[in-house]
Amino acid sequence: MGNETPARLPHVRTTSRAQSLKLKMLASQAVMRGLQRGLWRALSTGRCVQAAHGKEVSADVLDCSQPQYCNRLDTPLPDIPFVRSLNAEQKKLKEKEKGPWTKLTKEEKLALYRLSYELTYAEMSKSSNEWKTVIGAILYFLGFTGLVVWWQRLYVYGDVPQTLSQEWVEKQTKRMLDMRTNPVQGISTHWDYEKNQWK
Amino acid sequence: MATPLQLGFQDAASPVMEELVHFHDHALMVVYLISSFVLYIIITLVMMKLTNKHAHDSQEIEIVWTVLPAIILIVVALPSLRILYLMDEINNPHLTVKAIGHQWYWSYEYTDYKDLSFDSYMTPTQDLTPGQFRLLEVDHRMVVPTESPIRVLITADDVIHSWTVPSMGVKMDAVPGRLNQTTFIPSRPGVYYGQCSEICGANHSFMPIVIEAVPLKHFEDWSTSMLEFT
Repeated sequence: MGNETPARLPHVRTTSRAQSLKLKMLASQAVMRGLQRGLWRALSTGRCVQAAHGKEVSADVLDCSQPQYCNRLDTPLPDIPFVRSLNAEQKKLKEKEKGPWTKLTKEEKLALYRLSYELTYAEMSKSSNEWKTVIGAILYFLGFTGLVVWWQRLYVYGDVPQTLSQEWVEKQTKRMLDMRTNPVQGISTHWDYEKNQWK
Repeated sequence: MATPLQLGFQDAASPVMEELVHFHDHALMVVYLISSFVLYIIITLVMMKLTNKHAHDSQEIEIVWTVLPAIILIVVALPSLRILYLMDEINNPHLTVKAIGHQWYWSYEYTDYKDLSFDSYMTPTQDLTPGQFRLLEVDHRMVVPTESPIRVLITADDVIHSWTVPSMGVKMDAVPGRLNQTTFIPSRPGVYYGQCSEICGANHSFMPIVIEAVPLKHFEDWSTSMLEFT
């Protein structure tokens, strides 16, 4: 069911009033669905939301026909190094790397690492603050539901039957004990018939 | 009858229901085992840091997860079939009662010796005396003798109803134009409640079934007095 309109001949009135109303309804439904989808996308995977949660956000455009660099815990060696085009200083460092590694300083080793990889394993597996938003939203909706239920109890529901009054329930319980309902494992086993009290 | 917020079965009032309760305990234990195992697997999957992207096949685990469910099914099926055949054993009932469903009441006929028949309407809530159970009490209960196999022939006058007493472990549809038979043995005296279990119109929730199981002497007194009354 999309929102395609039927083909129209210019000289023939093909749509009646009911049909045009239906088309308007379908169009507005499609608009609403599109808004909802966009809203959901913005909320869940939008860059501002992800950044607010403390996750890393990349600004580049992906060309998936080329080998990609990826920061993945289960892929220790991505297809390409992180920095493809080296400046002069980085090229010198790469030349030095071809020699014995014991001659490299700590800073040079770190620089070489950062040339091949964007993030360390520690940075990749860092947790985010998303859970706070999730818990907050859950509590918010629970609270809202509570408000709705309370309003319903006040303004919508009628009186409960007389059989739920304290007095009736007491008489009812006494009757259930007198007729020994559920005497194997149920209510009658919790009443002490000699002492006339609950066990 | 059930107590408020009750989750499990009512206590059994017949031998078949006792068997069903024990079987349910057994099957539920199997279900708990499987569910907790699956829950453990799911949590482990989610929390696991190791990844293997290159698994192809594994004959050993495939054999295990084919044979083990078969064994579990047999462990559940054998007691289940035992009870199924137990329920169908020949048992020579001492009494036959006909329960006929109408919109919206039950009528009972005891026609073994004399013709005794009466209707059983729900007591309306405003007519209850304090202590009676709302939506469960009826004006005329179905009285049966204890420790005797009772045969119940169930049918309906108009639409499909269903005659059930959970504590006896009995439920049978009342189908117009058809006679369904079920039997039960009340193990102990008492009053046992049930409710119509097939949607049958506006007052489907308001046509309960009440069985009063009494010693044989009391049953004979009751049937005599009912014959005089009706």
